[in-house]
Amino acid sequence: MILLDGVQLTLASEAGAVNVLRGVSLKIAKGETVALVGPSGSGKSTLMMVIGGLERANAGSVVIAGRDFAGLGEDDLARLRREHIGIVFQSFHLMPAMTALENVALPLELAGRDDAAAAARATLAAVGLSARERHYPAQLSGGEQQRVAIARAFVASPGLILADEPTGNLDGETGRKVMDLLFGLAAESGTTLLLITHDRALARRCSRILSLEDGRITADEKSATGAARRGRKRR
Amino acid sequence: MKLALRLARRELRGGLAGFRIFIACLALGVAVIAGVGSLSAALDAALRNDARALLGGDVDFHLFHRPASAAERAYLDRAGRVSEADDMRAMARNADGSQRSLIQLKAVDSSYPLYGSVTLDPPQNLADALALRDGRWGAVAAAGLFQKLGLKPGDLVRIGDGMFQLRAVLVHEPDALSGTFDLGPKVTLALPALPSTGLIQPGALVGYGYRVRLPPGGNEAAFAARAKADLPDAAWRIRGFADAAPSLQRLLDRLTVFLTLVGLTALLVGGVGIGNAVRAYLNEKLPSIAALKCLGASRRLVFTCYLLQILALAAAGIALGVALGAAAPFIVAPFLPSSLPVGPQLGLYWQPLATAALDGLLATLAFALWPLGIACEVRAASLFRLLIEPADKVPPVWVIAAIALSGLGLGALAVLTAPERVTSLWFVAGAAGALLAFQLLARGVIALARILRPRRASLRLALANLHRPGAPTSGVVASLGLGLAVLVSIVLVRGNAASEFGEILPQRAPSFFFIDIQPDQAADFDKLLASLPGVEEIARVPSLRGRIDQLNGMPVEKAQIAPEAEWAVRSERGLTYAALPPEGSRVIEGQWWPKDYSGPPLISLDANLARGMNLKPGDTMTLNVLGRELTATIANLREIDWTSLGLNFAIVLSPGSLDGAPETDIATARTAPENETALEAAVTDRFPNVSAIAVRDVLTSLSAIVDAIARAMTAAASIAIAAGVLVLAGAIASGRKRRIYEAVLLKVLGAERKGVLKGFVWEYGLLGAASAALAGAIGTLMAYVTLTRIMRVPWQFLPVPVALTLVLAVLAILAFGWLGTGRALAAKAADYLRNE
Repeated sequence: MILLDGVQLTLASEAGAVNVLRGVSLKIAKGETVALVGPSGSGKSTLMMVIGGLERANAGSVVIAGRDFAGLGEDDLARLRREHIGIVFQSFHLMPAMTALENVALPLELAGRDDAAAAARATLAAVGLSARERHYPAQLSGGEQQRVAIARAFVASPGLILADEPTGNLDGETGRKVMDLLFGLAAESGTTLLLITHDRALARRCSRILSLEDGRITADEKSATGAARRGRKRR
Repeated sequence: MKLALRLARRELRGGLAGFRIFIACLALGVAVIAGVGSLSAALDAALRNDARALLGGDVDFHLFHRPASAAERAYLDRAGRVSEADDMRAMARNADGSQRSLIQLKAVDSSYPLYGSVTLDPPQNLADALALRDGRWGAVAAAGLFQKLGLKPGDLVRIGDGMFQLRAVLVHEPDALSGTFDLGPKVTLALPALPSTGLIQPGALVGYGYRVRLPPGGNEAAFAARAKADLPDAAWRIRGFADAAPSLQRLLDRLTVFLTLVGLTALLVGGVGIGNAVRAYLNEKLPSIAALKCLGASRRLVFTCYLLQILALAAAGIALGVALGAAAPFIVAPFLPSSLPVGPQLGLYWQPLATAALDGLLATLAFALWPLGIACEVRAASLFRLLIEPADKVPPVWVIAAIALSGLGLGALAVLTAPERVTSLWFVAGAAGALLAFQLLARGVIALARILRPRRASLRLALANLHRPGAPTSGVVASLGLGLAVLVSIVLVRGNAASEFGEILPQRAPSFFFIDIQPDQAADFDKLLASLPGVEEIARVPSLRGRIDQLNGMPVEKAQIAPEAEWAVRSERGLTYAALPPEGSRVIEGQWWPKDYSGPPLISLDANLARGMNLKPGDTMTLNVLGRELTATIANLREIDWTSLGLNFAIVLSPGSLDGAPETDIATARTAPENETALEAAVTDRFPNVSAIAVRDVLTSLSAIVDAIARAMTAAASIAIAAGVLVLAGAIASGRKRRIYEAVLLKVLGAERKGVLKGFVWEYGLLGAASAALAGAIGTLMAYVTLTRIMRVPWQFLPVPVALTLVLAVLAILAFGWLGTGRALAAKAADYLRNE
């Protein structure tokens, strides 16, 4: 699903150029759940943006869902995201002018799907928010907003979900429920999940844990708990 | 208060970035009001200073048809120095008679002018220029006559039966109050030369003016009153210098009222921008307000603190507007029309500036207090929640009361400081009502946007942005719509007037009016016209001048007369008598007199005039014709179709009523455009005392006047539109962050740039279309009322120019929206989504 080879990224800053990614190579298979851990500033979010086609690597190759990013324009990348990638942010990032239902339906509408509203309604129901369909983001709690965001990420049945500290803005109990939902949906649909987290316990729920430090992958380990859970689920 | 000031100062350290539109909205309205007021005050001062020169003396006595009697003249001579200046319309021809022109003829004595001076080119003394030299009287004329007849100084010109030498171009005369309706160039002769023209005949339309310069210390008002009492039968119109230029003063007053109200409209429209800017600013400050309350600040302290900030910013906007307004007379002076008899007396006029500043302050309060009142209702407890929003959507009652007081104060100030209060009152009520109507209609559009559920995502997003909570849609639609509606109505009025004056009227109007036909020339005149090929629709009626003196026995000065009927009593009116109802009019009340009626005098009166003077059949009207009082009973009221430009009189008397009064005839005739010159030549060559007024020239003048008014209105509308654009700019600016965020999110969710762009186009297109649709409907209604009720011109809807105006407006709004949000499209997602 994800194939990175020698990815490098340098960003300009006021203090000079910063090498955020220094040759990241990585292969993630379809259906894997992978946690990306590391200290702040290690390049986790940037790596996720490169994988999502939101940031372009200066060197190396990025192949997602069989498509090499090299030579793809901004609009090609947008289309690729629409078809293959769902993203969940720490700050939810819902469209403030749209209701919960409209937010969830949006990716399908962008893809020109006729069943956008029905599918969105079903997905909202799956995350337990049927009663909140007509609410605007500002009228929802943090946990509810993140559930809407998860529904939006899953509604188009993408092959890959990128989640950037999705519980970072939530309390412990709400965060736990949100992660249950995220893992549950990913498992049900066999979606590849790449999750950035600072929470070691949460990382262990994934089948694989990647550690990133100073723009390099320093460890790539299998998680016994995650693998076991996944195995159980599959059975 | 000290604490509030300190807090306000700290908050303002953040800079004025979000308030540029606020300041611009306020400055625009204040600048227009201050500028118009200053310019008007400067012209007023000049008019007052030059009043004696404009009038030609301290007091002016004016008679029609007859000169002052020896006794009357002696009476005036005893009071001071007297100068006589007579005036009439006449025809001038070049020496060989091949070119002719209608002229405004003035004959002056050697005392002229009593005040001010005449400028001639080549420079010379007026008396010398007009003097009898080598048996030839001199004349001076406006440059227009030289051009029209192809003459140069020194050439001869024939006026009536007299031949004169044109010795100079009349560049400036102190008492030349350019009327709005001069039909020909001005020509000045010496008074003793006037008889040689042969134009002074019984009943000829000659005005005799006697200007009196009182000895030093003389009181002109007392003298005027005494003259009226001492010579009650003179029937002259007496004017003091304080009333030197009534029509110019009236024009200036009306322009001032109109343009001040345009400024006020700009302020009202800009007020929406002020409200939006304050709302956007305070929305960002909600956490600070909640925090202040959390720390123990009272609602009053918070309100005062933020009100002080708003007032400080308002002071900046008002100061900018006042400065621009104060500079206006200096900037505008060089561009004022040269036909104005006075130039503005440049200076600083504090009164209009103070009024404008007060207008600005009241507008700020009227529009800023609502969002301020709501924002201050935010609860401290909100800090513990994710969403910080005010507890109420409506401010407390005392804030609403303060808003109402500010609004009323603004209206009252506009009405009380205006020279024409009733007009102002209507305008203020109309503008406020229109703005409110637009807001309500805009809400309807928003409600519609909420109901519609299109399948296209970009359109859905656009609609969502129009109706989402806090969207500035209604304000933007209302403010843009108001200016656009005025523009649409101008386009329609201009288009209708152009087709009426340029195409429809010339098809049915006569080609010429011939005036001053002596009764003994009537038969010859008819014979001549009948002998000319292609001349048709010939009509001729007797004509006299008379003044309305009393209505039902009450002097007109004391009678209640509506403003729209005042024109009839301002000066002498044309009168006629007839046995049968004139063509182009219809009796709508009362009965026409029998064909052979010979009883006491009866009047048939224009129905509109009767309405304005509160008269009905059975009432009486006393006319003064050549000093003779004639009281007649109103027999009937007529509805007159003035637009046919046929021979019609507001006052028609029964036959015999005017027996003995010297009358002349007035006639109309129609011919093909290519025969007009021949017809004019034939009549004026055969009857040198007869003047020919070409209807084509009149219509051209009318078109020019309507055009000039339309241009002024367009300029005024563009000020209102500018205010609307500022409101749009403010809304775009305050929504820019949101828009970039939306663009980024859409891209993250897989939208192509084209899709994001489509969303913007839809949003601004819909906003523009909503504004244009409302403006189109309301503007059309405004034009319909103006044309059918005020101008009384037949109405036709002109879809092409209206559609063109609205499409251009929508495109402009789209372009503006694009300029403001184009950057959002290029925004890089990573920059906005990065958490690290």
